[in-house]
Amino acid sequence: MKEVVGSKLTPVPAEVIEVVDETPDTKTFYFKPRARLENPRPGQFTEIYIPGVGEAPVSVSGTGPDGVIMQTVRSIGTLTEYLFKLEKGGLVGIRGPYGRGWPLEKLEGRDVLVIGGGIGLAPLRPVIKEVEKNRSRYGRLSILYGARTPSLLLYKYEFDEYRSIPDSELLLTVDRGDETWTGNVGVVTELIPKATVKPENAIALVCGPEIMMRFTIKALEREGFRENQIYLSLERRMKCGVGLCGHCQVGPYFVCRHGPVFPYWMIKKYFWVDQI
Amino acid sequence: MFSGSLYSGELSELRKLFEEIKARGYKIIGPRLEDGVIRLGELEGFDEIPYGIGDIQKPGYYRVRANGGRFRSPLDSPKRILYPPELTLFRLTRDWELERPEYEFEATALFGIKPCDLAAIGIMDRVQGELGDEYFLKMREKLLIVVENCVEPSENCFCATMGTGPAASIGFDIAYTRLDDSTILFQPGSDLGVDLLGELTLEPATPDQIETLRKALLKASEKARAGFRLENLPDMLELNLESETYREIAERCLGCANCNMVCPTCFCFDVIDEPELDGSARRIRVWDGCHSYSYAQVAGGHFRKDLWARYRHWVLHKFVYWLRQFGSFGCVGCGRCITWCPAGIDLREVISKVVREVGEG
Repeated sequence: MKEVVGSKLTPVPAEVIEVVDETPDTKTFYFKPRARLENPRPGQFTEIYIPGVGEAPVSVSGTGPDGVIMQTVRSIGTLTEYLFKLEKGGLVGIRGPYGRGWPLEKLEGRDVLVIGGGIGLAPLRPVIKEVEKNRSRYGRLSILYGARTPSLLLYKYEFDEYRSIPDSELLLTVDRGDETWTGNVGVVTELIPKATVKPENAIALVCGPEIMMRFTIKALEREGFRENQIYLSLERRMKCGVGLCGHCQVGPYFVCRHGPVFPYWMIKKYFWVDQI
Repeated sequence: MFSGSLYSGELSELRKLFEEIKARGYKIIGPRLEDGVIRLGELEGFDEIPYGIGDIQKPGYYRVRANGGRFRSPLDSPKRILYPPELTLFRLTRDWELERPEYEFEATALFGIKPCDLAAIGIMDRVQGELGDEYFLKMREKLLIVVENCVEPSENCFCATMGTGPAASIGFDIAYTRLDDSTILFQPGSDLGVDLLGELTLEPATPDQIETLRKALLKASEKARAGFRLENLPDMLELNLESETYREIAERCLGCANCNMVCPTCFCFDVIDEPELDGSARRIRVWDGCHSYSYAQVAGGHFRKDLWARYRHWVLHKFVYWLRQFGSFGCVGCGRCITWCPAGIDLREVISKVVREVGEG
């Protein structure tokens, strides 16, 4: 008897219904899958497929009605180059969502410190939206966000909305300002002592380039955050997304399945080892 | 799973077993000589099995000799049969129509594989689990396994250290040992195995035969050892993540990923797109290996750009991480990675050295 195999790695077609320019090299895509996918939880990712080119893992930044998925992508490789050519009505393939996201259940009743660097805000945005939506479930919200230049900040059009969330703050910084920039200049770790969320009864959620996360961990530990109060979202080559292809391993973990979000204590032993 | 008692028979009974399995409609895969190398392939007849041909396996060295001796792990492991190197997942037309190929899953018998490879199948079972690769799971459903115990391991074998040989203990339908040129000892390991052996002319093994077998396996087990022990091995390796040995090895390693390809448990795969002239694309799952340059590369970054880091990952995955992921080591001691390494790098020596450094440090 003949049989079909490999269904786990089969994408569903999804239509581009909107494209928003975020920064000179970053766009936000709104995809409408033609078959219903599982509802992504904050911190999860999908695999986006361009036929004839390949797939790439991209974190989910938001969800909309009718299964719409919002994903923010930086043009950095071949696949994203093709993706950027798509306009409204264009098609991609999507699989997912995959992975373990931010620990919402641990955040309940606690203060939340969101720390993003550059495009690292993309997987954190759903947490901000979640706190906004179910405000009473969570304690104080501090969002610390930094980018290299003001033009590289994502979601600028939403910053006022973040600021208007009750009992919250948004602290921004850039490595280099420009003529319009009047805010902080410096790396995101310098914002940590300024945040009103303090380590007592708080959880810090961190995503950004690995070097930024390293300095952030050190700064958080200086403030008194423990290893189990810090969560990181890791980037690796999550080729299959379902823990089978092996590419995304960090130590004994498959980042696609055991992560991409990890409590710091679980990965600490490997996190500082060069090219582990 | 358990194994039954020993029976003895003439060499001709092994042929009868082969023919009986074939008569029951199984496609038989076993060792065969191809271009001077013993590989796993489909066998039409029993005579294709190169009994009487020996192989010489040393670090970076493989030869066959026709003047007797025994052959050990073939170039291919059962992985090539159960988990093919290339598998088309789907074809997507220009109009986004998804066509998925259908595969025929025949009842297949692995005939004359070695205990290390049998253990590797057990490891693959745990790696894939119930939700793993569907092709593998389908192949596995109808798999009959006849395993040949090893009484003459090669210089590269270390199954006794890994606890996977020289004799098979579980997970087979029939195990047999070529005690000498004319006597075969058979052992059933499943209901089906008992059934098949029932078709042969066998006698319960005599105490003398059992004693000969015991001595032969003991001798084989003394030979098939590495210079390291498994006790505390994962901890010892993890306490020496920064070992200089990995850097030294990388000076000889070519990063060719031969070791990954011949390894009976390495499961990593890549998925590639093959655009076709009509505008459609074929999506193909292909074996990948952690030694290849692109393995941990992403757009705009590289998580293991240095070869020493990729070599280290391979060692740590097999001997540390695998236990935490799947509850066993990821190595069965078949020695293929040593034989087929073009630089003759001996994994056993690498591990022994990294462990020794912990004591010295």
